Amino acid sequence: MRNSLNTRWRRWINRRIPRADSQILSQKNIFILPTAAGVVYGLLLLIMLITGINYQNSLIYLLTFLLGALFVGAMHQTHRNLSGLSVALVRPGEGRAGDDVPFLLRVTAGKDAGLGLVLSVEDSSVEGVHVSLGESRDVVLPVPSAYRGYLRPDRIRIETRFPFGLLKAWSWLRPASSGVAFPRPLPAPDTAGTVHDGSEAASSAPVSGQDNADLRPWREGDMSQRVMWKRFARTGQMIVADWQGEQGSPHWLDFHAFPGVDTELRLSYLAWMVADRVQKNARFGLSLPGDTIEPDSGSLHGERCLRALAVWGEQPPRDPDGQPFGTRQAENGKAGVSA
Amino acid sequence: MSTIMARVFSAKPAEQAPIEAIPGNALLWLIASFALLLVPQWDRLPWWLIAACAVLAGWRWLAQKGRVKLPGRLLRTGIMVALIGVYVATVQGRFTVDTAASFFVLAVGLKWLETRSARDFYVLFFIQVYLAAVNFLFKQDIAWALLTFAAIGCLMVGLQILNAPDLPGSLRAGWKRLGLLVLKTLPVVVLLFVFFPRMAPLWSVPLVSGEARSGISDTMRPGDISNLAQSSERAFRVTFGGESPPYRERYWRGLILDYLDDETWRQRDSDGFRRPARVDNDGGVGPLQSNEYDILMEPTDERWAFSLENSVAVSGNVVSTPEDLFRFQRPADSPVRYRLAQVSSEPAPAEALSPAEARRYLQLPSSGNPRARELAREMSAGLSHSEVVNTLLRRFREQAYFYTLRPPTMPDDGIDALLFDEKRGFCAHYAGAAAFVFRAAGIPARIVVGYQGGDAGAGGDYLIVRQYDAHAWVEVWLEGQGWVRVDPTAAIAPSRIESGLRDAVADEGSFLENDLTSPQRYGDIAVLQWASLQLDRINYNWQRWVVGYQGQSQMDLMSRLPGGFGLKELGYLTAGVVGAALLIAGVVSALSVRRGARKDAFGRVVVAWHRLCEQVGVPVRTGETPATLAERLSEARPEVESSARLFARAVNSHYYTVSTQEASAHEARRLTRLLKTMKRQLRRKSEPASRMPRHD
Repeated sequence: MRNSLNTRWRRWINRRIPRADSQILSQKNIFILPTAAGVVYGLLLLIMLITGINYQNSLIYLLTFLLGALFVGAMHQTHRNLSGLSVALVRPGEGRAGDDVPFLLRVTAGKDAGLGLVLSVEDSSVEGVHVSLGESRDVVLPVPSAYRGYLRPDRIRIETRFPFGLLKAWSWLRPASSGVAFPRPLPAPDTAGTVHDGSEAASSAPVSGQDNADLRPWREGDMSQRVMWKRFARTGQMIVADWQGEQGSPHWLDFHAFPGVDTELRLSYLAWMVADRVQKNARFGLSLPGDTIEPDSGSLHGERCLRALAVWGEQPPRDPDGQPFGTRQAENGKAGVSA
Repeated sequence: MSTIMARVFSAKPAEQAPIEAIPGNALLWLIASFALLLVPQWDRLPWWLIAACAVLAGWRWLAQKGRVKLPGRLLRTGIMVALIGVYVATVQGRFTVDTAASFFVLAVGLKWLETRSARDFYVLFFIQVYLAAVNFLFKQDIAWALLTFAAIGCLMVGLQILNAPDLPGSLRAGWKRLGLLVLKTLPVVVLLFVFFPRMAPLWSVPLVSGEARSGISDTMRPGDISNLAQSSERAFRVTFGGESPPYRERYWRGLILDYLDDETWRQRDSDGFRRPARVDNDGGVGPLQSNEYDILMEPTDERWAFSLENSVAVSGNVVSTPEDLFRFQRPADSPVRYRLAQVSSEPAPAEALSPAEARRYLQLPSSGNPRARELAREMSAGLSHSEVVNTLLRRFREQAYFYTLRPPTMPDDGIDALLFDEKRGFCAHYAGAAAFVFRAAGIPARIVVGYQGGDAGAGGDYLIVRQYDAHAWVEVWLEGQGWVRVDPTAAIAPSRIESGLRDAVADEGSFLENDLTSPQRYGDIAVLQWASLQLDRINYNWQRWVVGYQGQSQMDLMSRLPGGFGLKELGYLTAGVVGAALLIAGVVSALSVRRGARKDAFGRVVVAWHRLCEQVGVPVRTGETPATLAERLSEARPEVESSARLFARAVNSHYYTVSTQEASAHEARRLTRLLKTMKRQLRRKSEPASRMPRHD
């Protein structure tokens, strides 16, 4: 029962607040309720009114009415704090799975200042954001991530309790773009981590020379361009050529280097190796089933590899809601993926 | 290495520095409010409690500054037990509103040591708001009320700082915001105050105070009233419907002392058991008739009300007694207003005293003061009662009796000593002696205690009667005349009765000699006098119209409005006021949102463009970017290609940059021009003219 109510409530909210990377807060999508302190305040006013009635004390009446009116005024003020504010996801962040991934948000004031704002997602929050009239402010919000892959918080909550903390007004930004959580690096057991594939000795000796390639049997995930189809026609065996010997002998970091290891663990190993290679400023390539990154070096290359590891096998999150006119196009982790 | 790589490789992010749970400035305002709220209570709280509160709040503040540590649980419990122990020891089982109030203050004081989180802050906030309400139970003067409202202001500013501690300039902005909020809501507050139905108390709540009040008492020893003469505190204020009576006729009768017990005059029948409850504060309504007068009395914790002779009750909260006095149903524990009328200055036709009454008013102790008894016997020989009275008054007038605030002590046979040896005394001495002599001479006599005099307040609208106007005189029963006032003081010091105590003791210089702070002491400094009277007038009106705005006065006000409101109608009216206020606020905010929408000229131009596209047969698809729409538009109508592209680019750049209001307005104007160009181009094309459309 509670669950179904919750679901309906969520659905209703989602209808009211479509996914978009920027949102202007207005009466339509601002919610306002008294806080616990506000409820106690109401009870206190009731007690004071009874005191005033019982002691026939005009000044207590006056005080009660004044405080009551201040509460209503505060309601207006708290609402105005959010109303007209525009919140935009400027850059979704990238980071390690399990850590907080920083998302860059921009809060721009409308016709009123937005004071005492709290941006939060799940249990991480940024407090004390103040945007004065006609200004905008960039806020880095750490978004907790549990798993590697696309990271798109369902809702980023923007709340204010200013001025008195007796009322809270809040709204949500439901971002359309997603950040990326890299696999958590774990030191790989095998120092080489290259194509050494256990018993398979076919490619044990790295071949140096322009025309030589590492030949090995086809495995799931190998790209069809690399299959030596002529040989297949001849022998019926799918042999794949790894052209790793093209320039010097860069190390290939290969998904298949860890036989029998769980996929996520493999990705973690690879992430560690990528970071390791970048630190040593080594040249390396990354070979994932369905995705290969040509050898290169430098931190940009490393990031590209990490992104590829992060989103491997993942679908970019989609939402049935259309994006309204004027929405920023998502700039997600696709940049590093070469098809 | 880029930041992302660094993050991937780094360990856990550094632990955040611990944030102080309560910002120091917010705490400071909370403490300031506490201090302000304690000020009106200073005279009813025990001194140790005020000291303890100061120490505890100071401790909390020093802890905030990092100078000291907040006590641990053990020490905290120890302090709590110690303070509550002292409290229980001093209260000694007397449970009055005072002790309840001081327990309340003690609880606030102890809470300071436990204020660690925002939640504790709110607990203190709530307690202090209620403390403000408690203050109003005891102190209702405008100055105290303003102080209490200032404390509430401090609390509200403290809350703002608590909720946005790092906001720059939050202090001034906080007061400004609060002030604006109060100004905006003030009309509603005033309407609610006027129209909220003043119901009868839901249950009976006594407000028994252990506080000693200065004022006359129901016993009189020689010298009692001269203590009172050193106080310039207000006793009551009077407004007359017509002319106020001359000074010498301003005898305010309070109570009658008819039993002489050795040296002490007291009441034979005291007022009896007093059920603790609130005094009825409904002091009559409407304009005063010419013979009516309206008294606003300071709390006395007694039932007596002061009145002129020959008065009848007009307001329902006073009842008359057989002695022509007036009593409240309950002790006056708060300022109370009542209304009386003077019927005629002729005394009512007198009936004879009953034997019981005669015994009562002739009672004397069996022995003592032999010379006075002898004097009475001499005087009464062969003279009528009224002649005896005149003889005694003549004796007072002709012999060298002195009226003084510094009478000598007369321990044994005080009346004899006064009449024959010292001949120096205050009104209580002379009244007591005169009543003694009359009774000894067989004339029924009684002492009346009350006030005599009263100075004009600011503007001469009303009289202020102060404690130093306290007075005692005698009433004697004369055949055919009834009770007749005899004031020996008038015979000895006529100036006391004609113009007040100040002139009567001017030579002696003893007027308010112990009260250096009283403005009345410096009667010759006109500015001080004027300021003091103006202040009193403000307070008087505050008390009458704001503090005293109770059931009857509300009904009176309502009866003057058309429509004849009852309590029920008032309830509806209040609900209406609140509803209307909320509605107006809602409409205003909705309008401002609409205005905001209308202000977005940009959006309007884009909508107009969409309409134009639809008109020329290019339907707008949902989620289409301006560029693609412009593309399709120019495919359909090539003549607008350039302007449509420009338009789309401008829309794009608007949506993808954060621009100021001014720039935005400028862009909107540019878009409007472009849209006009488009329309012109379309029109020209549809005209069967040969000239080429001109681009600008």
